[in-house]
Amino acid sequence: MAEEEGESLIHIALGGEELFAIGPFVVTNSMIGALLASLLLLAAAWYVTRQSTLIPSRLQGLLELPVEWVAGIVAGSTSRWRGYVALVIGFFLMILVANWLGLLPGVGTIGLRHGEELVPFVRPAAADLNFTLGLAIITFVVFVWWGIRINGPGGYLKELIGEPRYMAPLMFPIHLISELSRLVSLSMRLFGNVFAGEVLIATMLALTTATLFVLPLAFFVPSIFLGLELLFGAVQAIVFALLTMTYITMAIAEHDGGHEPEHDPRDDHGEPDAHPASSPA
Amino acid sequence: MGPDGDGKREARRNASGEPRPANWGIAFDLGIRLGISVILGLGAGLLLDSWLRTSPLFTLIGMALGIGAAMYTIWDVARDAMRR
Repeated sequence: MAEEEGESLIHIALGGEELFAIGPFVVTNSMIGALLASLLLLAAAWYVTRQSTLIPSRLQGLLELPVEWVAGIVAGSTSRWRGYVALVIGFFLMILVANWLGLLPGVGTIGLRHGEELVPFVRPAAADLNFTLGLAIITFVVFVWWGIRINGPGGYLKELIGEPRYMAPLMFPIHLISELSRLVSLSMRLFGNVFAGEVLIATMLALTTATLFVLPLAFFVPSIFLGLELLFGAVQAIVFALLTMTYITMAIAEHDGGHEPEHDPRDDHGEPDAHPASSPA
Repeated sequence: MGPDGDGKREARRNASGEPRPANWGIAFDLGIRLGISVILGLGAGLLLDSWLRTSPLFTLIGMALGIGAAMYTIWDVARDAMRR
């Protein structure tokens, strides 16, 4: 009896579940999660830009804090950081909000009942491989684009073929696998961590509410794991954003022959970055 | 404080020998990429073999290339770290 109740409490679906369809376009619960995260970010951005002051209020300071922190890290990467800082900050905020949204009460627990199974209205966006793969593809396209922009199409192809030329049949597939491994690694890591977190919390809830004897545990055991998920959500967001930055930095550094400027003398005089290619792309 | 000021402060922190935050990402990334490189090579080899019916020729070649790509990834990441 206890086992049956425990089983019915755990609901695990690997992909996003269909809520409704608009013609051929299927809307899944993870898409709702991503949409809610986007709306929350837009509302925060609207609030900050509408009521921003030179001396920030507490709320403005709180909202600006993660943006300034990530911008500070990106600004130390290359002289062309202005071209990709918006993307890195965007990834960080989107993944952070999407991950933390999944910890709110009701997310994953309120939904439509289809027979024995409950299909939640909202699912954390990063617990669906489609979302993480989409972000990883954007990163992949951007760092390849930076590589082509800096080296030129021929130069980028030369990088892929490698030196000396007679080693090309060996080095080309090795380079190709290495490049593709970035795409897979980015998407699978984020998906794996968030999905595993969801399963862990669901399991803990099911274990602690399975019988009346252990029911009091349900009030504090999941909270430990919710706290951990709060931390892991932030760590995964910053890892994804920083890896995006690292890959772009590597694409730029390869062009510079490994001689990335260590120190720009203009920095000492507080002059603005005057690199022609450093304007936002 | 704007990003420019933070960037300079970040650069100074790097010069003082403290680990850059970006290195956390590389540490998280390297381990998983080693495994994925081998899996990608092996998967491509298995697919080619099942398509061309040449088993186990491309499986072995794919595995060797995957292991080669994993070793190349270590070298690539180390080279980038040394540059910085």
